[in-house]
Amino acid sequence: MGSDFYQLSILPFAGIIIKICRAYTNSQEDFEDYYQEVCLQIWRSKDNFNQESEWSTWIYRISLNVCLTYLKRRKTGDKEIVSNALPEEAIDDSKAFSSDDINELYSAIKHLSETDRAVILLYLEEKSYEEIADIIGSNANNIGVRIKRIKDRLNKLINQKD
Amino acid sequence: MTRSIEAMWKNGFVNEAHLTAPKINDLYNRKSQNIVDKLRTMFAINIKAIMVGSLIMLVMMSLIGAPFLGLYICCLLAPLIIIAKRELSKSVNLSKGQSSYDYLISFNNWLQSSIEAYSDYYKIFYPLFFLGMAIQAIVSKAGGKIIALFVEKLPTDFIILGLPYYLIAIVAVITLIVARYAEALYRLDLNIVYGRQFKKLEELITDMKELRN
Repeated sequence: MGSDFYQLSILPFAGIIIKICRAYTNSQEDFEDYYQEVCLQIWRSKDNFNQESEWSTWIYRISLNVCLTYLKRRKTGDKEIVSNALPEEAIDDSKAFSSDDINELYSAIKHLSETDRAVILLYLEEKSYEEIADIIGSNANNIGVRIKRIKDRLNKLINQKD
Repeated sequence: MTRSIEAMWKNGFVNEAHLTAPKINDLYNRKSQNIVDKLRTMFAINIKAIMVGSLIMLVMMSLIGAPFLGLYICCLLAPLIIIAKRELSKSVNLSKGQSSYDYLISFNNWLQSSIEAYSDYYKIFYPLFFLGMAIQAIVSKAGGKIIALFVEKLPTDFIILGLPYYLIAIVAVITLIVARYAEALYRLDLNIVYGRQFKKLEELITDMKELRN
C-alpha cells in the first residue's frame, strides 16, 4: 500500500475504522489485525469505488465487511491472520477512548449480534436509515424498528448497572 | 439517572483526532509465514498420504489376487516419496534472514522447481502406472476371457507375446497418450489439491510487489 494513499485517503478516516474494529474485537492484538486488514482491503478495492457514495461510506462498508468476515472465519476456526502464538493482552483504550462511558457503551455493544452492532454503530455515527440500509444490505423501512429495539437493549444493559 | 447512548457516544469521541491509529506493520510478514507454513504442512501430509496409500494399495491388490501389481505400484510410489521428502527439506533450508518479500519469492522459486521435479517424475509414473494396470488386466482370468472373445471376433495371425497385434497397439497408443498428457494430468491434480493456496501465494506476492513500488 502506497504511503501517500494511506496518508491521504485512509488516515483522515482512521476514526471510522478504529470505532468499528473496536466493536468487533476483544484484544489489542485482534484490534490491530482487523485495523490493518481493513486498510489493506480499502487499498485493494480503491479502484472499485464508483463515487456514487461518499468515500467515508465506502470506508464504513469495507470496515464492516472485513470485521464480519473475520468474525465468521474465527468462528469456523480459520485463523488466517490472527496469530494464536501470542497471549492475548487486554485492549488498551486509555489513549483512544479516555471516557469511561464509551468503554461501557462498547461493552454493551459487544453483547449484540454482529449485524446489530453494525446497525447501531452506523446509527451512532449519524448515518441516515437509507445509508445504513445501503451499507448493511437491508431494507430502510426495517431499520427504524431495528434501531429502536437495539437501543432498548443497550439502554437496559447500560442502565441496569446504575 | 438514565443515560442516553447517543450522548455517551458523542462525548466519548469529542476529540476524535486523539484516536490513535495502529501502525501498519508486520501484517505481510505474518501472512507470508502463514501461507508458507500452510503449504509446507499440506506437502508433509501429502507425503504421509502417499506412504499410507501405497501400503493400502499393496494390501488391497494382494487381497484381490494381484500382489505383484500392488508391489509394482509401491515401487512406483517409492521414488515419489523420496522426491517429495527431498524437496520439502530444501524448503526448510530457505533463508529466513531476508525480507518477507524476498523470502516469499525464494519460496515461490523453490515451489516452481519442485513442481518441475515432480512433473518430470509423473511423466514416467503415469504411463508406467497405466502399463502395470493394463498388463495385470491382460494376465488376469477375466482379461484372458475378454482377449479370447476379441480373437474370436477379430481373428489374426499376427500375434505378439501371445496377444493379437491390435491389442498391443491399443495399449501402446494409450500409454503414449498418457505419457503425452502426464504433465497436464499432474498439474490438474495439483490444482485441485493446492490451487487455492497457490492463488493466495500469487496474490500475496503481487500485493507485496506493489507495496515495494
